[in-house]
Amino acid sequence: MSDLLQKIIKKSPWIYRINAGSCNGCDVEMATTALIPRYDVERLGIRYCGSPKHADIVLISGPVTAVVRDKVLRVYDEIPNPKVVVAVGICPISGGVFRDSYAVENQLDAYIPVDVNVPGCPPRPQAIIDGIAMAIEIWKTRF
Amino acid sequence: MNTFLKVILRNIIKGPSTMKYPFEDSPAPEKLRGKIKHNPEACVACHMCEYVCAGGAIRMQESDDKKGMDFVVWHNSCTFCGLCEYYCPTKAIHLTNDYHTAHLEEDKYNYTEKTSVRKQPCICCGEPIISLTPTLVEKIYGKEGDVKDLSKMCQKCRRKAIWKDGVFKS
Amino acid sequence: MDIVRLAINILIFPGGLFAISLGLFLTGVDRKLYARLQRRVGPPIYQPCIDMIKLSQKEIIIPRTANYTFFRFAPILGFAGMLAAIAIIPVTGIYSGLYKSGDLLVLLYLLSLPALSLMIGASASGSPYSSIGLSREMTMMMAYEIPLLIVLLTVGMRVGMASGKTAVFSLSSIVDFQLKSGALLFDLPMLPAILAFMCCIPGTVGVVPFDIAEAETEIAEGPLLEYSGAGLAMFKLTGGLKMLVLSALAIALFFPSGIGDFWLINLLWFIAKCMVLSFFTTTLVRATRARMRMDQAFKFYLLFPTALALVSLILTLLRV
Repeated sequence: MSDLLQKIIKKSPWIYRINAGSCNGCDVEMATTALIPRYDVERLGIRYCGSPKHADIVLISGPVTAVVRDKVLRVYDEIPNPKVVVAVGICPISGGVFRDSYAVENQLDAYIPVDVNVPGCPPRPQAIIDGIAMAIEIWKTRF
Repeated sequence: MNTFLKVILRNIIKGPSTMKYPFEDSPAPEKLRGKIKHNPEACVACHMCEYVCAGGAIRMQESDDKKGMDFVVWHNSCTFCGLCEYYCPTKAIHLTNDYHTAHLEEDKYNYTEKTSVRKQPCICCGEPIISLTPTLVEKIYGKEGDVKDLSKMCQKCRRKAIWKDGVFKS
Repeated sequence: MDIVRLAINILIFPGGLFAISLGLFLTGVDRKLYARLQRRVGPPIYQPCIDMIKLSQKEIIIPRTANYTFFRFAPILGFAGMLAAIAIIPVTGIYSGLYKSGDLLVLLYLLSLPALSLMIGASASGSPYSSIGLSREMTMMMAYEIPLLIVLLTVGMRVGMASGKTAVFSLSSIVDFQLKSGALLFDLPMLPAILAFMCCIPGTVGVVPFDIAEAETEIAEGPLLEYSGAGLAMFKLTGGLKMLVLSALAIALFFPSGIGDFWLINLLWFIAKCMVLSFFTTTLVRATRARMRMDQAFKFYLLFPTALALVSLILTLLRV
């Protein structure tokens, strides 16, 4: 029974984007994965939602700067369980080009548990879809 | 109003233009800058790539057994900018067009490309050095000499050979 | 016996299971057609069912600043109202409505329940985005109710004057009158009223030119911001049911003719009519229009559909 439930549920994850101080390059690529007809992800059931309370998979981009860190943690707490975190771009994984800056203290997985990494600056939309597919496989085992 | 209707009619007739990615292959263009590939035969350990790397992802350090140099690039900090390929004097580093970069968090620190440049003994005095490549020697001394032998000597022996015999000895 | 029949009508057919499945089917078809109009592939048609199943398994988070009872009570209000509304509307050949008098007025009250439940939920959430959504929803409700009232009044008076009384507000009588003397769709003085009703549908359902209250990108989903899990699922179900109730009402008021006597054919004919109506009023409008500002939408509703409905009312009163 729970196998059948997992097979049904994995067809409808809703994603939410958090921009933790990013330069918007990865945000543009994330917008193209869902919205433009060429890389349409809605055929897999995925949908962008406007509120963190509706989200299942959260995509975070940007190095966690000192100003935005508390806000990212608050929004992360608002997302209901079960949830999966995907770090998009090299900035949340290792600080990227901003690693020695005065505003970047630590990488993302010092604050919240990350599940999938998608490096690239910015990663290609097909690579982001790969990352979301890996995240869905992890997500359906958490129900 | 009628522009909209014309657009809608055209959209219905032409059908979807989606590339159904996970179920269909999505080929990358040839010049796409993807993951790094390093050729240890052609590397001279000049540290130029480490100097110009934008994300600080390349590290060249002496290997543990002191018999070569280890080249490590961490893909999680690489911006795929291509500066290392542009500035490498022997074109030993090369960006492929592989864009499949998603991986799980457990493999985060293993997501590297590691090669090792071995030190060869000098053909004159026998000291272990990293040999130059023929292309680099050509750039310094021109084409008409015995570049193959010169590239395998250490710095002191090379200077002695050129002082004694000149470059144009065969 | 009557209570059992009432319960079956509200919970299984045509309310309850039938209405929920048909409502989700209409929503799914709408999403698929919308994607095809944009040259995309789009989700499969059963996607809203999967969304509901997934939402029922998520955790419910109640914000600290929320009013606990009203927060949890609000989705149920709209849902129950829509279930009762669909039990009142007759479908020719299959089902002949619940009551025999004063149907249309009860339906008018029940139609305002989902908007009211959204408003109660928004104000019980205690977040500034929700209060913006609340005030927008109140303004939109005032805007689209005016032409709706005038259209319903016109239909009632038309049927009433043709059968000797002043005004008839019972849905089964309206349907019987049309089955005898031709549908109101082909009646020339009623055409402006039909157009006005079609203009009211996008505003009531909340699709793009008029989805100001639930504007996703502007106010982070407005009234639905703090809802997660089962409450959100119920709000989405109510949205689907609202589309079904409005389609069924439009069909019963203007074009209720059935085909033959067999119940299955009448059912399929009814579903086909619902789909065509929802395509032209929801999907096509959603794919070609951008979202309007609050004052533009208000001005539109006060001028254009109201004028059309008034024209129809005057023509009816003059017995043309």
